Amino acid sequence: MTGLARFLKKFFLVDILRGLLITLRYYFSPKVTIQYPERVRELPPRYKGLLRLHLDAKGEPLCIACLACQRICPTHCFDIAGERVPQRKTLWPVRYDWKLERCTFCGLCVEICPTSAIRFSPEFRMTLLEKDKVRFHYPDMYLEGEELQKHLCGGCLE
Amino acid sequence: MTAHPLVVDFLIPVLKIAAVILYPLVMVIVMIWMERRVVALIQGRLGPNRVGFEGILQPAADAFKLFFKEDIIPRQADRFLFNLSPVLVLVSSLLAFCFIPLGESFRIKGYTLTLWVAESPVGLLLVLGLSSIGVFGIIFGGWASNSKYPLMGALRSVVQILSYEIPLGMTVLTVIFFSRSIDLVAIVNHQKDARIWFGFLLPVSFVVFWISGIAETNRAPFDLPEAESELVAGYHTEYSGMKFAFFYIAEYAHMVLVSSLVVILFFGGWLPPFPNVAALAFLHRIPGFLWYLAKIMFFLYLYVWIRATLPRYRFDALIKLAWKWLIPLSALNLVAVAVLRYVL
Repeated sequence: MTGLARFLKKFFLVDILRGLLITLRYYFSPKVTIQYPERVRELPPRYKGLLRLHLDAKGEPLCIACLACQRICPTHCFDIAGERVPQRKTLWPVRYDWKLERCTFCGLCVEICPTSAIRFSPEFRMTLLEKDKVRFHYPDMYLEGEELQKHLCGGCLE
Repeated sequence: MTAHPLVVDFLIPVLKIAAVILYPLVMVIVMIWMERRVVALIQGRLGPNRVGFEGILQPAADAFKLFFKEDIIPRQADRFLFNLSPVLVLVSSLLAFCFIPLGESFRIKGYTLTLWVAESPVGLLLVLGLSSIGVFGIIFGGWASNSKYPLMGALRSVVQILSYEIPLGMTVLTVIFFSRSIDLVAIVNHQKDARIWFGFLLPVSFVVFWISGIAETNRAPFDLPEAESELVAGYHTEYSGMKFAFFYIAEYAHMVLVSSLVVILFFGGWLPPFPNVAALAFLHRIPGFLWYLAKIMFFLYLYVWIRATLPRYRFDALIKLAWKWLIPLSALNLVAVAVLRYVL
């Protein structure tokens, strides 16, 4: 570009006006902010939220209290005990304590579980009002959705 | 029939003074809200939209919070100057609004109501002078804080104002050549008689005035005195609570003031556009104040738009822009306009 052209470009503020047009285009562009309580972002399928236990099709616990998760857990989140029940080859879990405050959401327990009893849920709302609620005991691990929220903080989000 | 002298001599002036103090403050609230929203929208965010309708009460909520914050004075500070400077900044920018004509005067029951507090034959000089006094507040604040960042901010402010006052003054002179008056009301009336706004007659003057005006108000891309990435918050780093709010309000009031000046000097103040087009004569029915408001809103938007677009100048580039571009350009422009005016 010749010197004169550069001078004229500077003099008529060409680049500045072009920049203003670019920002004006962005002014009307779609926004990335999501207004949280009204709209919740769709979570990816492998989202690592709260851990949950699952039941099988008959409504019996999938967990066989094999303690695989307890052994692999790097932060010792679990405290599990099972007992023998008649007509069943595997153990029946009687104690399944999970300490949310220790969990790093590494996912090793989910990977190691032989029966896929423990899985990540997409639940990201972990607000608590009582310190004790940070320990999950056996039946709590089956809760989900609003029931879980009610258990955690007594419906404080409403 | 004439109005009661008590009303004419006391009530109306007092109401006008109250309005002149309230009007910039309302504009400041609108401006802060608009700035945050517009910058957010340009950056792909939403900005404050919860407090009041679309977040319009957010600045009021912020001011309310600042009102109850602790007022901290550094131990090493010069207490007198430290307390004086926010007042000086705010008063000087509010006081200048006394001379800004907000609309044409109209008659009610034989009384001529003027939409300005004071019409001075040297109104333009007074406004420019008062807006320059605000710089003293910045300098005092930076000096009295006895802290390195405010001092750096104040020093930068001095250099910037010294550089940009010159093109500002020279471009204002070109307007005066045409209006032959430095009375702001007369300048607007001259544009009415000339049927052309000075901004279209003197485009170079307008652009130079606008650039210098942005520099005068310490706004991006010339916000070096308060560059938050370099100087924490510049000259008001040590201020908190209401004193900080004073600086903040004053900065925005100053922006409203410079926008008003641009509108009055270059874009016909309260005059409606297209005075020559007969088909658009209905535009004259809209009150002048609304035209004035629409015009200054455009320029306030332009402030925000420019802030969202341009990065901050480096300091030597800022001084170079003033001394190697704007001052020669405005001097040439001054001579050209003077010759043109003499020939015509």
